[in-house]
Amino acid sequence: MRNILAIFRKELQITFATPVAYVALTVFTIVSSFFFLRILSEFQRQIMIATQMRPQMLQYMNFTDQVLQPLFYNVAVILIFVVPFVTMRLIAEERRSRTFELLLTSPVTPFQIAVGKYLSILVVVLVMVVLVVVYPVLVWAYAEHGGPEWSTVFTGLLGLFLVGAAFTAIGLFISSLTSSQIVAAAITFCTLLLLWVVGWAATDNTGVTRDLLSGMSAIEHIRSFAKGVIDSKDLVYYLSLVFLGVFLTHRALEAQRWR
Amino acid sequence: MIEVSNLVKRYHRLVAVGGISFKVDRGEVLGFLGPNGAGKTTTMRILTGALPATSGRAKVAGYDVFEQPLQAKRRVGYLAEVPPLYEDMSTSAFLRFVGRLKAIPRKQLADEVDRVLATCNLGEVRRRRIGNLSKGFRQRIGVAQALLGDPEVLILDEPTIGLDPNQIVEIRGLIRKLSENHTVILSTHILPEVAQICSRVVIIHRGLIVADDSLENLTTEEMSLEQTFFELTQQ
Repeated sequence: MRNILAIFRKELQITFATPVAYVALTVFTIVSSFFFLRILSEFQRQIMIATQMRPQMLQYMNFTDQVLQPLFYNVAVILIFVVPFVTMRLIAEERRSRTFELLLTSPVTPFQIAVGKYLSILVVVLVMVVLVVVYPVLVWAYAEHGGPEWSTVFTGLLGLFLVGAAFTAIGLFISSLTSSQIVAAAITFCTLLLLWVVGWAATDNTGVTRDLLSGMSAIEHIRSFAKGVIDSKDLVYYLSLVFLGVFLTHRALEAQRWR
Repeated sequence: MIEVSNLVKRYHRLVAVGGISFKVDRGEVLGFLGPNGAGKTTTMRILTGALPATSGRAKVAGYDVFEQPLQAKRRVGYLAEVPPLYEDMSTSAFLRFVGRLKAIPRKQLADEVDRVLATCNLGEVRRRRIGNLSKGFRQRIGVAQALLGDPEVLILDEPTIGLDPNQIVEIRGLIRKLSENHTVILSTHILPEVAQICSRVVIIHRGLIVADDSLENLTTEEMSLEQTFFELTQQ
């Protein structure tokens, strides 16, 4: 436990002592606020149209469904771009700069290395998710009456955090396979993107193939979170990706001992 | 204290270490010599658990480095050929991190870091970012890191490389002092250094041991250590 903590602290120190975390958080904030403003002004436009043309439509329109839900999807897409950027250095950089030798010759197990490193990036993901809270809070602060449904805000953020956690585990594993950060980032990005869009192929198929393809897709599993529902099958999906990523990283590091 | 038997390391068809055996007793300082590419660093990396061997055994402080890696690693301080340093950390933050990895108790950590900083004369750079430090400082941080936790066995891969003459004298003095109650393996290209510090010498050439003897036996009246080294590694 203490070793995990030592590695976790060191990774956090490095992540926040270098521009990496700040650049990632800034990029994330700029892009997500752009999406938020776009979605919000589109919502506003629709309300205006409805007020003028069909006032009875107004009762079906609400902020949570029409702004927050699409915002959660869009933010998850931003994670596809940002996560590889923060995970690429995790192990690849240590291999390149020969500091990996220090970890290998210290009395720590590969499991402790993998978990310590994983948790440090989870902190960055958590900060990103907390930044998203700003948007519903802003609307709530300025709304004349009502505001967002806070339970949906919570499940949506939980969903985003799980997406980020799963992506981080994949990024960590890929970083453990190479000594080039660029290669790690490129492969991670490609993997995450495919994981996102694989569901699109489901529409062309039928039966088991269709279920399998849509079941694999990360986007399918955030849907219910964005709607305010915590479904155990979605939880299982993200948590198994986390487990798989950390487990494979452990195997990749363990392989150092006999390869 | 250290026992190596029939150690082999092959990279595909290239044989880096071709089956070497030697022993180092407690309190001995072993000079590990050989031309570049002879397999010195490879052997040292295997002994410290950084690299797996293709075959053979290696024991440190009674623990097999393959079977009981954690116990073995706890007893070894290792200075790698390229000192493993995190450029973005400060000297003291780095040493505290290594101290935690070596499971130095929380209460003793600050004192232990201060001790190695003082031993290696690093007090003035404790708050500086490692990436901005000169070669001499970085090398000494590497030594300091190996001394943390006062391990019984020290494995030092070219410890005086990149140091100025004053620092070299200091580090040599330090190693000599440490040799009183530590077991040391030291690789170097500076042969007079060996004569000053080491009690025994192993010379390896092309992955094989060509000499394993006390310093006195390798340096005779008519042959200096340089000549012996030259002779043994010329084929």
